[in-house]
Amino acid sequence: MAEIVAALLTSHAPLITGRPEVSRPEQRDRLYGGFHELRRRLAAARPDLIVMFVNDHIQNFPYSNMPAFCIGLAAAYDAPSAGAARFMRIAPRKVQGAPEWGAALLERGLAAGFDFAYSYEIESWDELSVPLHFLLPEGLVPVMPVYTNCAAPPLPTPRRCHEVGAFVGAFARSRPATERIAFLATGGISHWVGTPETGRINPDFDRRVLDHVVRADIEPLIRLTHAEIERDGGNGGQEIRNWIALLGAVPGWKGEVLAYEPVPEWITGCATVWVHS
Amino acid sequence: MIRTSYALNKILTAVARQHVMKERLTDDDLTGHDLSEEERAALKAGDITGLYHLGANPYLIRRVFRSRFSI
Repeated sequence: MAEIVAALLTSHAPLITGRPEVSRPEQRDRLYGGFHELRRRLAAARPDLIVMFVNDHIQNFPYSNMPAFCIGLAAAYDAPSAGAARFMRIAPRKVQGAPEWGAALLERGLAAGFDFAYSYEIESWDELSVPLHFLLPEGLVPVMPVYTNCAAPPLPTPRRCHEVGAFVGAFARSRPATERIAFLATGGISHWVGTPETGRINPDFDRRVLDHVVRADIEPLIRLTHAEIERDGGNGGQEIRNWIALLGAVPGWKGEVLAYEPVPEWITGCATVWVHS
Repeated sequence: MIRTSYALNKILTAVARQHVMKERLTDDDLTGHDLSEEERAALKAGDITGLYHLGANPYLIRRVFRSRFSI
């Protein structure tokens, strides 16, 4: 049985790296400090694979063909691509994928009633490259992303995301004992982006989500409806599906919030959370 | 249920993939797209609020009309 050696939750936003200078220094320092502590703990856990729960921002999946859940089977991911690199001010680089692991997950899923879509080529944006910039600066650990539709409603329910995460977690544990697997979910917490309320953040919602995460009190998160998240967390808040999936993969594990800052200049309620048994 | 206009999202996806930001779209940009008069007007005005209410995806609105946002 493979070992789950780490589980991490972070926000992602292109401006976290793209425009550090516009944020308040004390907020930036606390948040970057949270990322750095996560990096230290992740490195100490010595994973040989990072399974990522992330979402597209319509840069890949078009409205002509929109998957609810999609497994990345790419040999490598641009994290970031040359175009995104300018905007996010991160040097373009490739991060290795884990297509064989992904294909095994895909086949096991199909056999078990989880009908994942799959993709051999994914243009990654901030969902991979911003957290990996902090957490995997050398880029030496392969990643295997599971993309969930958080951006083009109608979206899969939080309950279904939790079930998918639980399935991925059980699959990971079924792997050979030599494997050391980390889970990383990115996105959220509250933010309104591209809507008439762009720039709004709701710290009350964010603290409520974090409180549930800290207590491993998953049920209230699973019960959230699309409308409730949209009202309290904004369209960007829908990305907490990724967090809910990860929490499904490590049942009973509790969050330790290393940093939380509502950063209006980055249009995001930003958090870094270590999740442990 | 959130309103979705496939026509708007189709043209915004096409423009977003050109990796250029726009203040507004031109008749040339709109050529070949099957859009309502309201949709055409909002695209040609770069009306980001109007586009949202007409069912354009907010991520695509921001990608294309980034310069229209104050933040």
